[in-house]
Amino acid sequence: MNYKNQLLKLRTMKFKKIKLKDKNAQRVYDNYINSLRNVLKPILDSDRQEVLMEFNSHIYEHLQNNKSEIEINALLNAIDKLGAPEEVLKPLIADKLLEKATKSFNPIQILKALLLNITNGVSYIIFFLLYLSLGFFVFLIFAKLFNSNVGMYYKEGKFQVLGLIKGNADYQEILGYWFIPVMLITVIILYFIITLILKAKRILNNKK
Amino acid sequence: MKNEFIDKWKSQVKKGTLSFLVLNAIRKKELYGYELIEIIKKSTSIEIAEGTLYPLMNRLKKEGLTSSKWVEQESGIPRKYYILTNEGKITLKQMRKYWNELQESITKITNNEI
Repeated sequence: MNYKNQLLKLRTMKFKKIKLKDKNAQRVYDNYINSLRNVLKPILDSDRQEVLMEFNSHIYEHLQNNKSEIEINALLNAIDKLGAPEEVLKPLIADKLLEKATKSFNPIQILKALLLNITNGVSYIIFFLLYLSLGFFVFLIFAKLFNSNVGMYYKEGKFQVLGLIKGNADYQEILGYWFIPVMLITVIILYFIITLILKAKRILNNKK
Repeated sequence: MKNEFIDKWKSQVKKGTLSFLVLNAIRKKELYGYELIEIIKKSTSIEIAEGTLYPLMNRLKKEGLTSSKWVEQESGIPRKYYILTNEGKITLKQMRKYWNELQESITKITNNEI
């Protein structure tokens, strides 16, 4: 079956809840599915559907293979053996979230993904710090609004400082209020560059 | 005897060999997830947190070593079958070769000591 057909088939093959005979078993099952859904919330719809169907199929097959057991006991066994969703699915979700965030360039998603990945290596901490440093430029933009002396200072034709220098005629501020759009554009460009590097790093990581 | 140390070592060995086991299991016959887990449990007495198998299968697929397909069932709960790709077969061959070499050298070392 080729990939396109498979996608089509998956789209028609939706997650279907298992119907249990015992009321309490049904409650336990419903709770488990809900907690799975919660854990999977941050990732893409199609990925969520896939994992949900995998776990659901596993539970169903377990019940079919343990029909001699009391339903709720068999169900609890299946759930116990699968392990806590937030734990077993953590690496998957961390990666999928990073994939989604570097596609959408959404800063909140990137922050969430980095926080989830932060235990996966020093480089993610470095990325976190890089994004944080963008905050400095944003701070400067606001600072300019409150103090017009904030700016980009040159001395004898050489760049010296971004920020504020008081009462020294040797330094010239060269941007004036152009400082704000220049900083804004710098932030945006840096944001894109850092995110593209992050994206490349993720892809390289998965190839390893 | 350092039981804690042994347990930790065992779990590291299991973690390190799980993908090798999985690839071997689906070499000749396509298997669905639950079946695959049962086979590994029966033949190796390895207790795995079963939930970790599915993310592992996803990774193997991403690497191009396996392919998978959902197959509709009468119950309405479809099964996902996994099988080795050609690339997976070639990779597994190399893994087996390495495994055998490793096994030989381990045997040599352990025989000398006992």
